[in-house]
Amino acid sequence: MLDKLGSSLKDALKKLAGKTVVDRAAVEELVKDLQRALLQSDVNVKLVMGLSNAIKKRSLEEELPKGVNVREHVLRIVYQELVNLMGDGGEVKLGAQTILMAGLQGSGKTTTTAKLARYFQRKGLRVGVICADTFRPGAYEQISTLCSKINIPCFGDPKEKDALKLVRDGLPSMSGLEVVIIDTQGRHALENDLIQEIIDINTISKATHRWLVIDAALGQQASEQARRFHEAIAIDGVIITKMDGTAKGGGALSAGLTLTASFPGSSAWGI
Amino acid sequence: MFEKLKSRLKEVRNKLDSGINEAATREGQPAEVPAAEKRPAGSTGLVDRVKVLIVDRELVISESDISEALSELEIVLLENDVAFPVTEEIIANLVKELVGKRRKIGEPVDAIVLSALKKALGDVLGEGFDIINYIKTHEHPVKILFTGVNGTGKTTTVAKIGYFLKKNGFSVVIGAGDTFRAGAIEQIDVHAQRIGIKIIQHQQGGDPSAVLFDTVQYAVAHNVDVVLADTAGRFHNRANLMNQLEKIRRVMKPDLIVYVDEAVAGNDAVIRADEFEKTVGADAVVLTKADMDPRGGAAISIAHTIGKPLMFLGTGQGYDDISPFSPEKVIEELFGDVA
Ligand SMILES: Nc1nc2c(ncn2[C@@H]2O[C@H](COP(=O)(O)OP(=O)(O)O)[C@@H](O)[C@H]2O)c(=O)[nH]1
Ligand SMILES: Nc1nc2c(ncn2[C@@H]2O[C@H](COP(=O)(O)OP(=O)(O)O)[C@@H](O)[C@H]2O)c(=O)[nH]1
Ligand SMILES: [Mg+2]
Ligand SMILES: [Mg+2]
Repeated sequence: MLDKLGSSLKDALKKLAGKTVVDRAAVEELVKDLQRALLQSDVNVKLVMGLSNAIKKRSLEEELPKGVNVREHVLRIVYQELVNLMGDGGEVKLGAQTILMAGLQGSGKTTTTAKLARYFQRKGLRVGVICADTFRPGAYEQISTLCSKINIPCFGDPKEKDALKLVRDGLPSMSGLEVVIIDTQGRHALENDLIQEIIDINTISKATHRWLVIDAALGQQASEQARRFHEAIAIDGVIITKMDGTAKGGGALSAGLTLTASFPGSSAWGI
Repeated sequence: MFEKLKSRLKEVRNKLDSGINEAATREGQPAEVPAAEKRPAGSTGLVDRVKVLIVDRELVISESDISEALSELEIVLLENDVAFPVTEEIIANLVKELVGKRRKIGEPVDAIVLSALKKALGDVLGEGFDIINYIKTHEHPVKILFTGVNGTGKTTTVAKIGYFLKKNGFSVVIGAGDTFRAGAIEQIDVHAQRIGIKIIQHQQGGDPSAVLFDTVQYAVAHNVDVVLADTAGRFHNRANLMNQLEKIRRVMKPDLIVYVDEAVAGNDAVIRADEFEKTVGADAVVLTKADMDPRGGAAISIAHTIGKPLMFLGTGQGYDDISPFSPEKVIEELFGDVA
């Protein structure tokens, strides 16, 4: 992620090497390069502007600490501000839990559900999946096919129209398992009925975690969408999908929520 | 779509306006038509010479007059998902268009700014694509191949367009060309049954070229007007998958290649559209998920990058949730409310 950022930062920082006072022009140039890289990665425009102002201001105003050269000083500020922007990375805990998957249509929830199931399985946990997507044609066939390839039990019924019923019936059937992952249909911030549906699924399932699945290519819309999901079900993790393309994931990064995983090197699962 | 862009553009327009007007005032020239205009009819001499001096005197717009407004416009475009390089180009074009332009005193500033902005976006958006007319004027079956990256809405779009064409009196057959993704054949099969359109399908894991070839054969044998060929999503940086698409193209010889992406995509939209256009080509674009309150910038980015018309916008998950895209209407909507 943000791989271009690394190289353009390095170039910009080079210009500060050997300087004894912070050079305004050099800092401005550095901030400009940083802005460009972040904007091209779909990081939220307001965040980018805030970040660049903070870096500029701190680099020019903060006193150079003893024994630290200008380059190191600015680098440290850039680093701190970037870390602020990204928040902490979350971690996937290994233990008994119910995970509710949420996200926009086509973001990769179903594929990620299967990837997560395999991940927990490989860590030695007993895993099951509930298909609560009652809308998309072929949704049950998709997840049940993926699950059967990796020997994961999958509860669902392509004829059932009530997602809540599937969750209600599915959970008891998974009682011997440690990790249960609930796959849901796609929805977006303006679909109030569907937002209500996922609120209800969350209530009924008493999910331990609610993870938002975001496509790496999602643009400036990401923050607003994420906010709506967060208001609805208190998202406690974000998973970025499709990082094997050329998108940088800055939209997901700007969601302001904890990044749980990006499954680097992940890909479409055809099986 | 374009809602946010619309309101923010209005602010920028006002800023550009006041920037230029301020410059006029600085130079001590009132922006209104000077009084000399009201000379008595038929008189010559001094009065007329004054008139030439004042009325015909022009004002030259400088970059500094508009720089503040332009940097604001840049942010507006970026915030609305116009990709970074495309934004830079639009701004550069606007600078070219406005800076150094001679404006007669008395000529309304708004008109100049408006036409420059309109031109900048109009150039980018180009013309729409009238699919009905295309089908009417081409030999049948008209074969349309749908391409794009994973999860953008290709399959749903195939169903919607099939439904749209059926309602317009054409016979349609769908080829289930996604033989890769689990559940993909079931998905398109259910859609086809619901909208009452014939579908040709093979087994999962089969050769997509083969099923699409069979679909074309079926259309020829049964005098079907249109073939809609669905394909598996693929990333443009996967050479083997792009080669497979190239093979599909050779085998089924589509009349039209429609590239499908989502209206909510950010900067990557230009990168992948460009790659698809370069490797297998694209004749038109469909942007889906326009109901997600997108900023609409992807439409501008993609159209600008590959220079291909936008055919439809997808506006939901229902079969009717599709609308033909009209650039004039968008421009009209963006700028039509000049107050
Ligand atoms: N290349 C790639 N494709 C992915 C990834 N995650 C999901 N996909 C594909 O994206 C499309 C939509 O994914 P799906 O799981 O059905 O999304 P959902 O609608 O959110 O359940 C499918 O074609 C998946 O194969 C990923 O990380 N990389
Ligand atoms: N909200 C919304 N969802 C859409 C639209 N078009 C497709 N989808 C949904 O996006 C998801 C992926 O669509 P699909 O056609 O399977 O994508 P494909 O992988 O490119 O074939 C599905 O859940 C669709 O119902 C649209 O215009 N608006
Ligand atoms: Mg799904
Ligand atoms: Mg599909």
